[in-house]
Amino acid sequence: MREITLSKAVNEAIAEEMRRDETVFLLGEDVAEAGTPFKVLAGLVEEFGTDRIMDTPISEPGFTGIAVGAALTGMRPVVDLMFGDFLFLVMDQLCNQAAKACYMSGGKLTVPMVLRTNLGATRRSAAQHSQSLHALVAHIPGLKVAMPSSAYEAKGLMKTAIRDNNPVVIFEDKLMYNDKAEVPEEEFLIPFGVANVRRQGKDITLIGTSSMVQIADEAAKILAAEGIECEVIDPRTIVPLDEATLVESVKKTSRAIVIDEGHQSYGITGEIASRLNEKAFYHLDAPVLRMGAMDVPVPFSPALEDLTVPTVDQVVEAARKLCAGDMIHAA
Amino acid sequence: MPHDVIMPALGMAQQTGKIVSWLKQAGDPVALGEPLMEVETDKATMEVEAQAAGYLGSVSAAAGEDVPVGAVVARIADTAEEAEAGGSPSGKASGEPSGDQSSEPQADAPKAAATKLPEGATVIMPALGMTQDTGRLVAWAKQPGEAVAVGDTLFEVETDKSTMEVEADKAGWLAAVLAAAGDDVPVGETVAIISKDEPDTPVVESYSPGKAAAAPAKDSGDKAASDAAPAPAKAPAKASAKAPAKAGAKAAGGRILASPKARRLALQEGLDLSRLVEAGYAQPYHVKDLETLRALPALGAPQAGTSASARLTARVAGEGLQNFCAWVADEGGSAPDEGAVVAGFAAASLSDTNPSPIIAIDRWGARTLYCAGDELGVAIGEVQPDDGDDQDPQPALLVRDLRDSRLTSVQLGAEEQPVITLTREGADLAITLEYAPGQLSQAGAIALLEGLSGRLDMPLRHLL
Repeated sequence: MREITLSKAVNEAIAEEMRRDETVFLLGEDVAEAGTPFKVLAGLVEEFGTDRIMDTPISEPGFTGIAVGAALTGMRPVVDLMFGDFLFLVMDQLCNQAAKACYMSGGKLTVPMVLRTNLGATRRSAAQHSQSLHALVAHIPGLKVAMPSSAYEAKGLMKTAIRDNNPVVIFEDKLMYNDKAEVPEEEFLIPFGVANVRRQGKDITLIGTSSMVQIADEAAKILAAEGIECEVIDPRTIVPLDEATLVESVKKTSRAIVIDEGHQSYGITGEIASRLNEKAFYHLDAPVLRMGAMDVPVPFSPALEDLTVPTVDQVVEAARKLCAGDMIHAA
Repeated sequence: MPHDVIMPALGMAQQTGKIVSWLKQAGDPVALGEPLMEVETDKATMEVEAQAAGYLGSVSAAAGEDVPVGAVVARIADTAEEAEAGGSPSGKASGEPSGDQSSEPQADAPKAAATKLPEGATVIMPALGMTQDTGRLVAWAKQPGEAVAVGDTLFEVETDKSTMEVEADKAGWLAAVLAAAGDDVPVGETVAIISKDEPDTPVVESYSPGKAAAAPAKDSGDKAASDAAPAPAKAPAKASAKAPAKAGAKAAGGRILASPKARRLALQEGLDLSRLVEAGYAQPYHVKDLETLRALPALGAPQAGTSASARLTARVAGEGLQNFCAWVADEGGSAPDEGAVVAGFAAASLSDTNPSPIIAIDRWGARTLYCAGDELGVAIGEVQPDDGDDQDPQPALLVRDLRDSRLTSVQLGAEEQPVITLTREGADLAITLEYAPGQLSQAGAIALLEGLSGRLDMPLRHLL
């Protein structure tokens, strides 16, 4: 099968959906001629023109509000938010308006809007351009949250998001745009709320989101050489979350580590760990571990920045301890 | 009329409250509803408001002190002069309950001072709401002189918001009832006394103010007279000081650290994790430790010191007990505590030698103590081990319920008391009695097993 970059996969997904449905349009900063700073949208303006690939002034609340309004009146806007950190600017448009319109109108209004943005540290972009803020929107009922872990997921999830009648926020890892993966030529969609079991194992379940899936994959390879068989699961969407698949896996393995690049406290890892604890408690042979980003603003110093995110070594070390029955966080 | 300020009960289970700070000083004028002091409980810090207007007399509990619920901490006098002259309320209230300030209510109920109240733990009117001043005692659920177990409903209280049942937090006998059904009793006032020993003649009175101070004064005896703390402090303080020590000892001895899965599998396979502890394996235990546990010498192997045990077995049809419980559930509307039923039968089978024995039931790794309440043994109460005075009551018999395990037969020897083990053998119920020489006579052992197996075989006959 052909291999394409995650960047190309997103580009294809948006182009295919725009060809399929003329109500789909895209707006944001530097999306047209520039094709975004990451060149993800390069070439789209040539095919679809500036009416459907719209450059906007530098006002995130402004263009997100426009998109919510367009969605309420029958369009399917894709909002390009250049950095996930800018989510703080669009909280009202996204969380108070888009997320609640369907509920508050008794289902008469829908907001079929996609907000595509990014997450991920270690790009030396400093504290205001390196955050992973998906937990922030996952907390709000009414928003769906997709976290592609490869080019394949990026394409399939984006197409599903554009066709969804509810607001969807997609977080791409800004360090993965050039990562290649096998992506079929023919059309495909990836349904929301269906986790991908990437590797089967009986000793421990590694649950990773976005780029942390790669960390889990790498850790699983190292651990396999030591005789520890990891099951690696990518939830793909954290809202809706495929809880059943995660719980079933942990019932089998009795142990789990949840890895996510958001800050560890009050984050995705805690939510998933808590659900496993509630639903698989009597099958646990060790505490479910969270591994998130350090609870600090992301440092600009490369040496320090690299210390803030979960690494393969950390996952391997933790998995060894859990499987050996070592007391974690001894009381 | 001066008004005593007491430490209020801010929570159902609260025994003491710490005075964080006084918001009024002695001699300060006080308006009704004005915050007097700040109190910290185990749950929260709250301001306590004045229940009367006047002048704050000298306070008897300083900031930082832990004061038992119901104890007088200050007095509100009608005039500034009285407040100044009134001195510490504790001095008056503790030694002489019929002191001048409380003469008015005493005059209305002269018996209150005259009646000698029994010793024991006081039961107060709890504060069931934040703004509740009094509670109306709707009905007593226990009769004066009746035995009380922890958790038994004592009485029903109606507040402005709801009606609730108040449970006993001490076991013993209802030795004094100091408020009658229909009485409105201020929060924190004593409504009953639970004694450790069965009272000869329980005291029964309707509520009259002032008795609260009088009652525990006797309990604390002359020691209180020289004590700066108010007399009512004594009984609850003693109890609360003891409770944590007991809980601590229990936590150190009883809790085994094991993963949820290891615990579940051990339970399903009838494995006893405490054997790993005894064998010296380090905690916490995980699933792989169960292999070690399985490899330990079989349970039936004779152990040192128990080889001299005698062992008797009986076998009856297994469905007798289930059918009986189902029948009781049908008749009584709720399923009976199976442990209590078995304990009742065991107690009745032992009754020749011991009129009201304590029976321990070991089930799912947890021990429950039962004490026979009447000769039928079906209305049998749970004994709360925490309530013991010096040590937990020693059961006369241990019943080990292994009907849900895969074990069919045991030979473990007696413990400190004779042990009866219930196991399942197909559809049958096997009853094994093991005892050490001296614990039972041969005839007594045969009678015990015969009696119990008969009752388990045909429980209905037991009732006749």
